[in-house]
Amino acid sequence: MKATNLLLILVVGLAGACDFNIVNPNTPASIGTDPSRAEVAAAATGLLIGSRADYADWILDAGILGREAYRFDPADPRFVTEFLQGPLDPGSGAFGGDHWAEEYADIRSANQLLNVIGTASKLTAQEQDAVRGFAQTIQAFDFLIVLDGHTEDSIPLDVNRAVTDPPAPFVTNDSAYKYVSALLDTAQNHLNLAGATAFPFDLGSGFTGFNSPATFIKFNQALKARVEVYRGSRGCGAPCYTAALAALGASFIDSTASFDLGVYHAYGTGPGDLANPLFQDPASAIQFAHPSIRDSAETKPGGGLDNRYTSKVVTRAPASAGTPALTSNLAFIRYSGPSASIPIIRNEELILLRAEANLGLSNPVAAATDINEVRVKSGGLAAIGSLAAQSTPSILGQILKQRYYSLLYEGGHRWIDMRRTGRINQIPIDRPGTDRAPAFPTLPIPTDEVLARQP
Amino acid sequence: MVKRTSLITLGLLLAVGVATAWAQQRQITGRITTAVTGEAVVGANVSVVGTAIVALSGDDGRFTLAAPAGDVTLLVRRIGYRRRQVAVSATQSAVEVSMEQDVFNLEAVVVTGQATTVEQRNLANAVSTLNAEQLNRAPTPTIESALQGKIPGALIQMNSGAPGGGGQINLRGVTTINGGVDPLIVVDGLIVSNDAIPSGANAVTAAQAGGNPHNQDNPVNRIADLNPADIDRVEVLKGASAAAIYGAQAANGVVIITTRRGQVGKPRFTLTQRLGTSEVAHSLQSRNWDSTAAVAAFGAAAAPFCKGGCPTFDNGGNLFNRRDLSTETDASVSGGTDQTAYYLSGLVKHDAGTAPNTGYQKQSLRVNLDQRLGDRFRVGVSTNVVHSLAQRGLSNNDNTVTSPYFVFAFTPNFVDLRPVKDAAGKDSFPVNPFAPSNPFQTVALLKNDEDVWRILGTANVKFDAVTTERHHLQLVVNGGVDFFNQRNNILSPPELQFEPQDGQPGTVVLGKNSDLRLQLTTTLAHTYTPASGSYSATTSGGVQYENRDLNTTSILGRSLLSGQQNVDQATSINITQELQPVKNVGLYGQEELLALNQRLLLTVGARADRSSVNGDPDKYHFFPKGAASYRVIQPFGGVDEIKFRTAVGQTGNPPLFGSKFNPDATGTTGGRFGVTVGQRAGDPGIKPERQTEVEGGLDAQLGNNRATLSLTLYQKTVSDLLLEQTLAPSTGQLTRIFNGGKLRNRGVEVAAAVTPVRTPELNWIFRATFFANRSKILELPVPTFQTLGFGTSLGAFQIETGKSATQIVGTEGVVGDANPKFQMSFSSDVDYKRWSLGFLWDWKHGGDVINLTQLLYDFGSNADDWTSGGQQRFNTWNSGKTKVYVQDGSYLKLREVTLSYSLPPDVTSHIFGGISYARFSISGRNLLRFTPYVGLDPEVSNFGNQAIGRNIDVAPFPPNRSFFFSVDLGF
Repeated sequence: MKATNLLLILVVGLAGACDFNIVNPNTPASIGTDPSRAEVAAAATGLLIGSRADYADWILDAGILGREAYRFDPADPRFVTEFLQGPLDPGSGAFGGDHWAEEYADIRSANQLLNVIGTASKLTAQEQDAVRGFAQTIQAFDFLIVLDGHTEDSIPLDVNRAVTDPPAPFVTNDSAYKYVSALLDTAQNHLNLAGATAFPFDLGSGFTGFNSPATFIKFNQALKARVEVYRGSRGCGAPCYTAALAALGASFIDSTASFDLGVYHAYGTGPGDLANPLFQDPASAIQFAHPSIRDSAETKPGGGLDNRYTSKVVTRAPASAGTPALTSNLAFIRYSGPSASIPIIRNEELILLRAEANLGLSNPVAAATDINEVRVKSGGLAAIGSLAAQSTPSILGQILKQRYYSLLYEGGHRWIDMRRTGRINQIPIDRPGTDRAPAFPTLPIPTDEVLARQP
Repeated sequence: MVKRTSLITLGLLLAVGVATAWAQQRQITGRITTAVTGEAVVGANVSVVGTAIVALSGDDGRFTLAAPAGDVTLLVRRIGYRRRQVAVSATQSAVEVSMEQDVFNLEAVVVTGQATTVEQRNLANAVSTLNAEQLNRAPTPTIESALQGKIPGALIQMNSGAPGGGGQINLRGVTTINGGVDPLIVVDGLIVSNDAIPSGANAVTAAQAGGNPHNQDNPVNRIADLNPADIDRVEVLKGASAAAIYGAQAANGVVIITTRRGQVGKPRFTLTQRLGTSEVAHSLQSRNWDSTAAVAAFGAAAAPFCKGGCPTFDNGGNLFNRRDLSTETDASVSGGTDQTAYYLSGLVKHDAGTAPNTGYQKQSLRVNLDQRLGDRFRVGVSTNVVHSLAQRGLSNNDNTVTSPYFVFAFTPNFVDLRPVKDAAGKDSFPVNPFAPSNPFQTVALLKNDEDVWRILGTANVKFDAVTTERHHLQLVVNGGVDFFNQRNNILSPPELQFEPQDGQPGTVVLGKNSDLRLQLTTTLAHTYTPASGSYSATTSGGVQYENRDLNTTSILGRSLLSGQQNVDQATSINITQELQPVKNVGLYGQEELLALNQRLLLTVGARADRSSVNGDPDKYHFFPKGAASYRVIQPFGGVDEIKFRTAVGQTGNPPLFGSKFNPDATGTTGGRFGVTVGQRAGDPGIKPERQTEVEGGLDAQLGNNRATLSLTLYQKTVSDLLLEQTLAPSTGQLTRIFNGGKLRNRGVEVAAAVTPVRTPELNWIFRATFFANRSKILELPVPTFQTLGFGTSLGAFQIETGKSATQIVGTEGVVGDANPKFQMSFSSDVDYKRWSLGFLWDWKHGGDVINLTQLLYDFGSNADDWTSGGQQRFNTWNSGKTKVYVQDGSYLKLREVTLSYSLPPDVTSHIFGGISYARFSISGRNLLRFTPYVGLDPEVSNFGNQAIGRNIDVAPFPPNRSFFFSVDLGF
């Protein structure tokens, strides 16, 4: 009997003595009030990681929709069926329903940080403002990608809410662009308030030259310029182009500096890092350049194709996919390896944005100067002397062509540009009768977003 | 305390006193033999009815016991035989007893509580019991395949044909949507781990990418470690009404495995040697090209292959073409005295794989000991050490085109991918010009090894605190440990064709995973039988404590020099770790009342559980049960006995580890650490799902014990479902875990067995089972959402109110359902003289499979029926009709067939100076298959074990059939 009791006591004692309150041993909980400097730094770095998560995939997919790229992926037919023929499937998170969730995840990460940054007693008020300015700028960039992908629909903006709350309402695209523009302004205010203080975290190699609040403003203004030019071409016109020129003035635009000057997403192969998915060994790559890139490339005065073509695209053994078969023998060498950075925005784009804004404000001479600057410096092409005298649509065409080669495979620019300037029907259709013509103007709203709003 | 102590003293006195009173009145001797063959029955329990006098029969079947004067009745029992009652008159001193085999398992004793059992004939639940003979009809690599087709109410399917296992036991339909899916596996009282830890092959396949968060590494679930030859019997508790005593963990049912133990008698030595082989049962053919079509599809690159017409090579068949020798050696020694019994067994097994560099090896050592310590204590110890090595190859979905059947889908058959010998005599692999990899090179050079060491140990102490005529109080303490260490080694060397693509040639993964489980169960059981003997009541109660500690770590290295295999030689290294500590406590109590001349059984019980995985770890969740059965003896002609039974109970399914947390994700950029929002929102109030099951049925024995019929109807309702709601992605998170909603399963199970012929020379048993289940989502507090799949256009499982839980939707709406319309099985065992023949057919009718392998072939315009149907099929899909790739997965499989011959005793007595038996068998597994499904196998799951979302076919490892020749010797 004694043995029985002993055993019972032992068992019950064991059960009672053990602490059942097990905290998550694997990953940190969401950032809470009064975060430490290290927690703020981790959250800020997380915003760059979150913003980078979908970026390369976005460039590829928008590139396919705009016929910069093909992906002959035996693992998935949808790169040549769904994206080229349709219908776009809002229910597949990697295709029609893509370029939404990851951006909104980063937006939530930013909101989590913004919600508590005011309580961070370990940071000075200026440092808090620096964090706000940074987080809101990155958040604006995330919103802009969602907008770029879903331009004919509308998107939710008021998303700083609990997951158990009803989903945020949709707003029209015009208000969304305005919202992004205003968010960049708010961010700029905070960066100004931060003054000469340093960011309380390291922004990494992608932000070299833009890693203090005072210099980060130049990046903020560069994004603002892009948004205002987009708005200008979407119907806002002169007021937005004027705002764009103002923003460019406060940005890092510099015709004399390297065209690669700018802000980048950094990639790497270190522990926990992300290798650049747009880099593939050209010989065995399954991502291809669209043959029209070669066909419409101009020849340099001394012979040879546009430098921008030869530095970004290389000929390889042909490959094909789909029915009827699509074929390409062009591989991208835009990125040199798994650790190559991908531009977010750089000087070359800013110069072309200035040209577009000037053209929109009826300054064709200023526009032509910038266009020729890019043609000569970046492409090795001859300047077009008579350009300023050409019609506005013609000059715009020249801007779009320079943007095509200058910004090839680095932001889905071709698709965005052709659409916002009403030229989507000029995107080449490879298989008439099979492929959707004109190319898809927008991705659909993801199924999960729609289902979540049903009763 | 005082009272109890005095009870014991009283009990002791009574026992001594009774023994004295009965001493040496007279002796009865006897011999026990089998009814059919007349062989001696060893170890039969002979008791004098109404007394505690017991004797065991020896090796020659003889027994001697001291019986009181006067007429007595002897009760003779032995596992595997029907009980016999024999009247012995006052003057008779010798008796011959012949026992009939218990072909229908009617004498089995079934576990109904943590320490209590009920005889099958009284059982109030449809518990399926299998003995060793039924389990081991044909050699099997893992226990799941040994159970296929044998349990009505179970859908048991392997996930692929990969060596080493990986399969799912699904009992009575869908019991959860986002909770755990595997039944609780209990081995000798210990809840053992059935973890399925991914190998890390995703580093090569990148299947879990491109927006797909689910791992597709084709993992082995660790029940594969058990040695089927060690199993004495398996009981399957299929639903809450039977399994409630296992409480919060038992919603998927409980599989109770009891290993063999020593029997009283001389040492018995058995040796089984098997030799055999496995071969691929089915492969996929591809299109035969002409040169015009080839050049049109593949461009100029195809022209050199098709000069003067395209040749054809069966690359799939050529790769999976191995029929190497598989061997298995089982040996065991068992025996014992009335104080000590022992069972020792060893296994050495090697299953050759059907592709180069694949296969499975297992070595197992088991020692089971039972020791009596005086009259009151019994100690049983079970220990098992197992080592296994599975060379899994590469299979399933990928995004890098490296999984062999993925590659073959895009490789035209005019290319011969087989290696050729170079000048140095080494294999040189041709570059596949039409896909990024050559599977011949991949399987030859890529290593995907899973090496597991596992130790299972339990100690069981029984203490008979009180033993009198009226009272029996027993304390049972069961402690156990289950530990395994799983090492995964994946090496994809830089010279592989696909490796340079990502700019980091060479990939190596080192996975080190361990799980330590400790368990202590203490049960007190008291049985009271009044003087009238009109009923007996068994009261039991106890506590179970469980501690689990799963630790998975994986190191992934990329960019390796040729010939290097250590992770530290890689230039780019990533390390992941996950810990899953869990603590559970359960308190349980149960009352069983057996009355009306053992015809009525009433049971009530309850269990209360708390667990660290719940939102409130201190809260006890309560799971009650109740059951009743009543036997009617010979109600009408031709019916020996009918038992009517009904049972109701509740069980739970605990939240998966981490459901209560709201974790962020982490990563780095440029060496700086960053935190981002996690994809999944947890619920700090999460609690177990609650399943309520009502079942009822009848068991009948017919035609003077020639046939049995068992019929069961059940309804299971699962409420507080663990749901992983898909959120509006604009919230920034993808899913949210919470409790809510309700689903229902209704089903019918029938098991019938008949012995059409039963003579001393010919004995024929025929068994059949039938099972059908329908599920329905009754309530869903969130909008309709999709679970597994690759997007709507490729078929996705959609959870929707009022619909079947396993419905599959496509672009155009509902396109199928993975749930079978019904399942049946037929098995037969014929013994003729010294020959025996057994077979088992397993039939699944209905249940759709999403055939993405065929879609891949069609995408490559490479299906063998491309011109006659494939092109049309692909165009139909492309026009928004997912239905063409959601196909009927019905099958009829000849799972097991065995023919054996036992040498006659006059021969065996001359072998090695006399052995007790020698048997020769030839057996086969999965020899025949009939299916309308066009694919490698409709028995497939790309995502492994899943509640909903099996039946997705993406380039699986092809299925096997195997043949074995076996020799069994007994000494």
